[in-house]
Amino acid sequence: MSDTVLQVEELHAGYGHVEVLRGVSLRVDRGELVTVIGANGAGKSTLLKSIVGMVSPWEGRVVFGDRDISNISPEKAVRSGVALVPEGRLLFGAMSVEENLELGAYASRRGEGAAAMSRVCELFPVLSERRTQSAATLSGGEQQMLAVGRALMSNPRLLLLDEPSLGLAPRVISEIFAALDVLRASGMTILLVEQDARLALKHADRGYVMRTGRVALEGSSTALLANDDVRLIYLGGWNGPNDARADTELGG
Amino acid sequence: MSGRSLNISRFLTVRAAIVAVLLLVVAVLPLFVTGTDARYVLKVLTFVGINVLIVTGLALLFGYAGQVSLGHAAFYGLGAYASAYVTATLGMPWFVGLAAAIAVTALGGLALAVPSLRLRGHYLAMATLGFGEIMRIVFVEASSITGGPDGFSGIPLPSLGSFVFATPQSIYWLVWGVAALAIMISYNIVSGRPGRSMRALHGSELGAMASGVDLVGLKVRVFVISAVFAGVAGSLYAATVGFVSPSTFTFHFSVVLVAMAVLGGTRSLAGPAAAAILLTLVSFPDIVLPGLSRDILAVVQDWEVDIYALVIILVVLFLPEGIAGAGRRVLGLLRRGVVEPSGSDSGTGQRGDEA
Repeated sequence: MSDTVLQVEELHAGYGHVEVLRGVSLRVDRGELVTVIGANGAGKSTLLKSIVGMVSPWEGRVVFGDRDISNISPEKAVRSGVALVPEGRLLFGAMSVEENLELGAYASRRGEGAAAMSRVCELFPVLSERRTQSAATLSGGEQQMLAVGRALMSNPRLLLLDEPSLGLAPRVISEIFAALDVLRASGMTILLVEQDARLALKHADRGYVMRTGRVALEGSSTALLANDDVRLIYLGGWNGPNDARADTELGG
Repeated sequence: MSGRSLNISRFLTVRAAIVAVLLLVVAVLPLFVTGTDARYVLKVLTFVGINVLIVTGLALLFGYAGQVSLGHAAFYGLGAYASAYVTATLGMPWFVGLAAAIAVTALGGLALAVPSLRLRGHYLAMATLGFGEIMRIVFVEASSITGGPDGFSGIPLPSLGSFVFATPQSIYWLVWGVAALAIMISYNIVSGRPGRSMRALHGSELGAMASGVDLVGLKVRVFVISAVFAGVAGSLYAATVGFVSPSTFTFHFSVVLVAMAVLGGTRSLAGPAAAAILLTLVSFPDIVLPGLSRDILAVVQDWEVDIYALVIILVVLFLPEGIAGAGRRVLGLLRRGVVEPSGSDSGTGQRGDEA
């Protein structure tokens, strides 16, 4: 485990009195693409939010590199090298594509922005075409690319993605995932939360299956794809969602 | 590289020229105000400058950072009373009173920033409204310091060293000088990194957070700057008028300030300043139309609140982007006239063009 980038240990977190994460442990090694899959309300988004400090963990630890970041503030998380592509993208609609990207470099040192900008434009050429356009006028796929690009602008060592396929057409989704493959090939470490389990596992090295706040299963992508329980989840034959849904309303 | 950056620089030069002309007009205006009611006219124009100063702070808070404050009259009052107390009661020079006003309103802004960390939209508006009401009651009840409902009188004129701003002209120049300084400071803030993070906050709070914007620090700073501008305005007001009473610092005045910011439009400094000038002059139509009969004047002042309300409704219906939005559209047309069409509207894309 010498090359562990992220280590989450027995993490508990929630909102108000509702406990969403009930002891989650996972590990992401350098250069890996690891995915967390599971039904709505399993706690996937909450997991990402507690890693970057948008939600404060109740118990447990988050270790990034050799540093304990369990109670870090989001801006410090970005500064230390963790970048989140939030669910629903959350772009700055009235601002131009370029300004959105520049804001992504907000936390990095002066002068690092230009290099990051050209890398992002290389990954998503459409963004440089639309540079002066306001973010609100982009298509859904382009907005997702912009959200990923904005996160990359801070030169992260770990990229967290929350449901990048949300609300997108299949062809656009494959474009986004192709970009993730390119990123991983370039050595980026990625933790991907995704509802489309099959798609996520196809692109990931390893996966964790979450169910109502706990890790129910873990393993290599090929092993998970072959697993009978996981197959059942794809088919929607899982009878868990009732208690899971109660968490969704609050947590998402 | 090519033609476009040249055109942008020409556009910026045009803008600088407009600003210079406006500054000159504001500066020489008192020289042309003569006649029997010159004193009155200058006093009204000084009030206009004071309102421009407060609304500039509100433009930062509301127009750029998207945080509503329905309690800005309270900062204005805090600044006025702090300055009045230090100069009249303690007998210190005006400069010290000004410093006290800045210190007190900075603390007040800090206090109001705390709820803003958890509240947004209507709820933040309610909290700031509550803050304004609490402060108004404090102004009435803390009568040993504020003079209570009767007010605080005998406040000395503003002065710097041995120079006293005794003539209406000198007070006008002082107030407008400070207002211009505040606009310059604000321009520096909004055209750089802090401005970008403020607009990000306006766009998406969580998105800004995910980009590494320190939301707590940003909100606190914006609230404090905005409050301090109102506090400085209060200090100028107290010294200019020589008398302050709680009836000036009401919820009604807070609403008037918000009306100015709304009419002015978001993401702009010029718009809100123009709106502050226009709406302040609505209460004094005899300045714009000399020889207006007293009866009409009385009617206008009776219906002032309704006029403001009507203005807000009309702006929301027909000019949702405010004066700034209308101005941008006109400038855009002018630019397209001067400049060959470049297909870009942003005005910020100054990087080399061919990618």
